[in-house]
Amino acid sequence: MTDPRNDVVGVGLLAEGMHDPGSPPAGIRRVPSGVDGLTTEHLIVNMGPQHPSTHGVLRVLVELDGEEIVSSEISLGYLHRGIEKLAEHRRFNALGTLMDRGDYVSGIHGETAVALAVERLMEIEVPRRAQWIRCMMAELNRIASHLVWFGTFGLDTGGMGQFLYAMRDREAILDVLEAVSGGRMMFNYVRPGGVVADLPAGIDLKVEAFLDAFEIYLEEHDALLGGNEIFQSRVKGVGIIDAEKALAFGLTGANLRASGVDYDVRKNRPYDAYPELEFSVPLGAGGDAWDRYAVRMEEMRQSARMVRQCLDGLPEGEHTAKVPKVLRPPAGEVYAAVESSRGETGIHLVTDGGDMPYRMHYRAPSLFALQALEDVIPGTLLADAVAIIGSTDVMLGETDR
Amino acid sequence: MALDRLTGENSMLFIRSEQLFDIARTNSLWYMAFGIACCAIEGLMSASGPRFDFDRMGVFFRNSPRQADVMIVAGTVNRKMAETVRRLYDQMPEPKWVVAMGACACTGGPFRDYQNVVLGVDEIVPVDVYVPGCPPRPESVQYAFLELRKKIRAKSEERLAARRDRA
Amino acid sequence: MRPDATELKTLLAAGGVKAEPEDVLLGAVARVRPREVIDALSSLKSAGYESLVDLFGTDTGEAVELTWHVRSYSQDAEVYIKTTVHYDAEIDSVWNVYPSALMPERETAELLGLKLGGHPNPRRLLTSDGVPPLLRRSVPIRTPAEAERR
Repeated sequence: MTDPRNDVVGVGLLAEGMHDPGSPPAGIRRVPSGVDGLTTEHLIVNMGPQHPSTHGVLRVLVELDGEEIVSSEISLGYLHRGIEKLAEHRRFNALGTLMDRGDYVSGIHGETAVALAVERLMEIEVPRRAQWIRCMMAELNRIASHLVWFGTFGLDTGGMGQFLYAMRDREAILDVLEAVSGGRMMFNYVRPGGVVADLPAGIDLKVEAFLDAFEIYLEEHDALLGGNEIFQSRVKGVGIIDAEKALAFGLTGANLRASGVDYDVRKNRPYDAYPELEFSVPLGAGGDAWDRYAVRMEEMRQSARMVRQCLDGLPEGEHTAKVPKVLRPPAGEVYAAVESSRGETGIHLVTDGGDMPYRMHYRAPSLFALQALEDVIPGTLLADAVAIIGSTDVMLGETDR
Repeated sequence: MALDRLTGENSMLFIRSEQLFDIARTNSLWYMAFGIACCAIEGLMSASGPRFDFDRMGVFFRNSPRQADVMIVAGTVNRKMAETVRRLYDQMPEPKWVVAMGACACTGGPFRDYQNVVLGVDEIVPVDVYVPGCPPRPESVQYAFLELRKKIRAKSEERLAARRDRA
Repeated sequence: MRPDATELKTLLAAGGVKAEPEDVLLGAVARVRPREVIDALSSLKSAGYESLVDLFGTDTGEAVELTWHVRSYSQDAEVYIKTTVHYDAEIDSVWNVYPSALMPERETAELLGLKLGGHPNPRRLLTSDGVPPLLRRSVPIRTPAEAERR
């Protein structure tokens, strides 16, 4: 009697040969080494789409000369779900649900980007209270996202303890976000015009309790991972991206600032309540993985500082502007960007006057970071490549869209 | 009659080796660390975190499919990913189970309209437990593992018979 | 937001590209002919626009409109270059000018059904072989009946 579980309907889906394995295929390539006419072998190794560094379904093909990477190719598309195409069939209020699932650990930032785009087209003025609430949620989301990065980056370099500490602190933030928006990850909270609902009573106590604890814990985390000599020797001097290369490859966010370029969407193209908040933008000097680590740790401190300011200075008022139930922006084109945890998340929205977008393009910062990696990884050791990919904090949901 | 109680079905003294193995298996279901999309953050990372703690149920992640019992398909499967999912499933040694986590793995989820998306991972691999949600809470995934346990124990007789028939 | 349309016109003219940029809600937008795109972008690059922020295409129903979003960090300025190509046209890669165009070009060509020339790796990026250009307006999404497969 055969096991009925093996009679799978639709296995023919795969037999059509639709999978493009990427070139060159994994294997061995003989290369003349030029010494006495002897040849050597380069091994072509496939990393992913299932691999322990949980950045998502990323596939990297590397050609190895021993341990050193000679060339690499990045194969994407394992999570291509059609966010841009489906946006043409969703009302403007519902675009936030698609953005939530793009960069899934920074849902608030994605929603804010699309909300800003619609507001700019319709010239909606968001009330001050809504702006401050958005900023507070965005900074909390940034801390949560950086904690995921922190945990998984440590996992990439071999540490397991910091992952659990990061998850513990993240749970406190997700409790706050769940109390405010109803969801732990898909918030669906920021809409064109403001936010869906006002903050619940007592949320300031929760946030303050979190901040008081987090300010101490963050230093502990920094000491745990950043103070670890093994970690330092694995990331210092590794994956150097200088400012010119970073700009040429379109890097943004912490990756760009670690290379020394001072550009933060919150400072240079401010939106929401950021002009009224006091915060500094950390810059790195060398552009190596250690700088990217240090910049993000400092960003977490600055985000905590901003959340405190938002708590203390939250103005009274409405939580949303009066917007029609079905939004019909005038025909036009606009670009709105936010500083998400990964970089500059931009929404390029083309409308034709209807109730659904004509075209929505999602500028994902991780795509540009991955492109740069194809240039940075060759010449490094395989183990360093893992650390470099981890330090750039890529999220495949937004890369593949 | 008393002897039956001691040595027959559901006996008090003896236990079928299959039942013993199943008790061991269900108490240490190791899943393969294979997070495709958003559900991975909730169902794999948060559920293994200190608050929801999969480890107290004996559930732990293994990086290689060869060392895993369960494959939690957490995320949308599209055409390019389908072959990889099938290959990973084939690489897992028997007995193996699949948990389809999230709306995308169950039926395609919020992306079911897109041509590139496979409408549910059960078109690729046989699924044992479906967990609805977008994303399901970590407790839902843990509940799914409890249901999987019940299913494994209930099916041990069938599996024993199947193995006997195959041999 | 710097620069305005006249400044952009001068910048492009310095590279030998004649265009009439306009100031719209998006910013300073210049429409050029497809074969002038590389010259336009080169003149921007030499004028201090170090980075290509984004590249994407839109199916207008009759043709494909491509947009290059270029930014200068040193001058804090952003401009947009647009061009229109026919379906299945061949576009020239601008990766020599801006390497950040490498993957966006592959994706745009694949999802909108264009051909890519002068690119070191002009293969598909996001989808596998045999998949139609999914972002074209003519390629539909699944109907509700198709999406409910049981």
